Amino acid sequence: MRYLGKKLITLIMTLFLVSAAVFLAFQIIPGDVVTSILGTEATPEMEAKLREELGLTEPPVKQYFHWIGGILRGDLGVSYRYSRNMNEMMPVAELIGDKLPVTLWLAAFSFVLILLISLPLGVIWAKSANPALDAVLGVLTQASMAIPSFFLGILVTYLFGIVLHFFVPGGYVSYEKDFPAFLGYLFFPALSVAIPKIAMTARFLRNSMLTQMGADYVRTAYGKGCTRRRVMYGHVLRNALMPVVTFLGMIVAEIVAGSIVIEQVFGLPGIGRLLVSSVNNRDFPVVEILILYITFVVILVYFLVDILYRVIDPRISEK
Amino acid sequence: MIRVENLSVAFDGPEVVKNVTLEFHDGEILGVVGESGSGKSVTALTLMGLVADNARVTSGRILFDGQVLLEAGKPRDRGLYRRYQGEKMSMVFQEPMTSLNPTQRVGLQVDEVLRLHTSLSPRERKEKVLESFRAAGLSEEERIYASYPHQLSGGMRQRVMIAMAVILHPRLIVADEPTTALDVTVQNQIIRLLKSINEKENNAMLFITHDLNLAKRICGRIAVMKDGCVVEQGTAEQIFLHPRQEYTRRLIQAVPGRVKKNRSLEERREPGESLGEPVAEVRNLSVYYRESGNSLFDRKKHRCVVQNADFEIRQGESLGLVGESGCGKTSLAKAILGMNRDVEGKILHHTLRPQMIFQDPYSSLNPAGTVGWLLMEPLRAQSAREGARPMTKEDMKEAAYQMLRRVGLEDSYFHRKPSQLSGGQRQRVSIAQALITKPGLIVADEPLSALDVTIQAQIMELMQGLQQELGLSYLFISHDINVVYRMCDRIMVMRQGKIIEIGDTEEVFREPREEYTRQLLAES
Repeated sequence: MRYLGKKLITLIMTLFLVSAAVFLAFQIIPGDVVTSILGTEATPEMEAKLREELGLTEPPVKQYFHWIGGILRGDLGVSYRYSRNMNEMMPVAELIGDKLPVTLWLAAFSFVLILLISLPLGVIWAKSANPALDAVLGVLTQASMAIPSFFLGILVTYLFGIVLHFFVPGGYVSYEKDFPAFLGYLFFPALSVAIPKIAMTARFLRNSMLTQMGADYVRTAYGKGCTRRRVMYGHVLRNALMPVVTFLGMIVAEIVAGSIVIEQVFGLPGIGRLLVSSVNNRDFPVVEILILYITFVVILVYFLVDILYRVIDPRISEK
Repeated sequence: MIRVENLSVAFDGPEVVKNVTLEFHDGEILGVVGESGSGKSVTALTLMGLVADNARVTSGRILFDGQVLLEAGKPRDRGLYRRYQGEKMSMVFQEPMTSLNPTQRVGLQVDEVLRLHTSLSPRERKEKVLESFRAAGLSEEERIYASYPHQLSGGMRQRVMIAMAVILHPRLIVADEPTTALDVTVQNQIIRLLKSINEKENNAMLFITHDLNLAKRICGRIAVMKDGCVVEQGTAEQIFLHPRQEYTRRLIQAVPGRVKKNRSLEERREPGESLGEPVAEVRNLSVYYRESGNSLFDRKKHRCVVQNADFEIRQGESLGLVGESGCGKTSLAKAILGMNRDVEGKILHHTLRPQMIFQDPYSSLNPAGTVGWLLMEPLRAQSAREGARPMTKEDMKEAAYQMLRRVGLEDSYFHRKPSQLSGGQRQRVSIAQALITKPGLIVADEPLSALDVTIQAQIMELMQGLQQELGLSYLFISHDINVVYRMCDRIMVMRQGKIIEIGDTEEVFREPREEYTRQLLAES
């Protein structure tokens, strides 16, 4: 319980630091939101008026706390760039509302694919005494690790979309309308994000298992009369999973980043394009919220990994 | 009838076990004694069917009650072996720390033997496991059942291993150095336990050890192995009283019995000469250990690991420091070397900085450097220190060569790497490294315990020779009372952070003042 409390404090502190860092970054990097909105032909009076409206005349510290206070009250602020109609700016919540879930679902889907494919693959690979399989998997994983996700996305689109017609490139159904169909459309993008990570994880698990198989307790297990299968699943696997769990936790952030890239390749309406254009337009309320969201999700996953680690390794919880 | 007949085993290279024949009798403990690399463990693992897959049996066979378990030229029948492993034959390993699965409760690990070989109900199985724990001398068996290995001490883990080995009352128990990793007092408990199990169960036992003294105490018959061959076999009495082989004689002599080879400080002293001047004085020293908390929020704990130590080390003497692991020996040594600054009290050094010889020459020498580089390293460090007289590279080289010769290594070793040296040669390099800056005091932390007996004797001789030649003082830390007896002029006994007894070695051995000292002496 005390542990959970500590983790929670860490989580809040991290979010706070990240928000401050992003805010600071937009203070420092060159470019002005007012010029970016009004264009270069605006009069100084118009600029001053807009500046006033956006609250940019306040000192930065005050601006920051104003913004944070809003978030805590559930008000994510308004976009500087997009407007709902002539008189009203677009609220950030509305802007990202239906885009963020697409990206997060894509990331989650690839993570599940990584787990479902890499773990059995790693175990089979470690168990196999077949040199041919060993060589094939070695080359295959090496190659998949080397190919960048976006290029893999293009290959997948060509092969499964255009040649084999497994899916319609560019097709999409909203997750609110038909969730199973939505997941269907996410499958190939998710696979593109997942393949390099699957290769890494499978390799990692295999090596970890091979290392564990030389451990003394494995000899003890054989000495009891355990079959190889029993030694593998009853003793080696759990011990071998410990470093793999840490590794999986570390690649979560990469998977989210990979999803943002890949959704552009497959034309999915995620946050990728919005994020890029918002950075270009100095639309920092949008960027800030997106980054905070992603940070929150990533930290949450780290937290879950930490708990999982404690479940697997009894030695941790007592230190 | 269990027999190993003419067994030869080879891995990828030449045979490491050659024509070994061993016979096991009910109720008898057969000791196999030899130095590391003599093939004793490979023999045991082959017998148990646990030897690595790349091992080939090149001759002979293994018979178990009329059943041929293994035969040269035929692949190992794993299915057949599995019916014997755990049920009719079982093994206790050297390292209780790593021989249990760290992520499984020990009760379940013992239970697995029953799940594999019996059809008992879960409740019957648990009852049997608890019973086996009691038989292995573990009280609080319910708590042990639910514990993970890291929650138990080394001795308790070894008892769990023994409980696992005896639970189905096997015909043969193989114990491979079962006490080497344990403290002296715990060692004795485990030895007694194994002996009583052997008497009660009337089974056969194979006891593998490098320690002849231990073999003498527990084994009825002893087989001495060297370079893969059994060079001599007989009753323990025959082996010890009438060894036929030169090698056996050497082994027996190498064991540091209660023979004093070194003259005591008093005898060495010329008439009229006073006791040596102190090279280091430790005054009312307490050493603390800061337990680092889990995170920012935890309060740091301050634990006192050495309490009010007060003694001095004199010029030319060897001061022995004995005690069980965890008693604060190493913390005290580190404080004297200045490696632990969390201390109260005073340490006065009257000579150059003391140097250290470490326990494990396999891990204490940087594997990337050559011997010459390693020897010159302390000189480079010394030259770089402020105010020191810088040495030229040629001078350093010369000093390194001189030191090599001094520790009995040829010049050609200068360009070798530690991986190309044997354990004894590495420890010689360690010693040379410690001596090259010409310190007056050497702290040696278990410098022999990673070495084979015959090598131990050589290193002891080297250390004594160097002491006389250079007038060195040693603080000699060891758990082996016999080694300390042979090496040291005075002896200091530590228990739970306190020095409970200090005195002339002869006197302490003759009339120990403390009960604890008496116990320590009696047990070795």
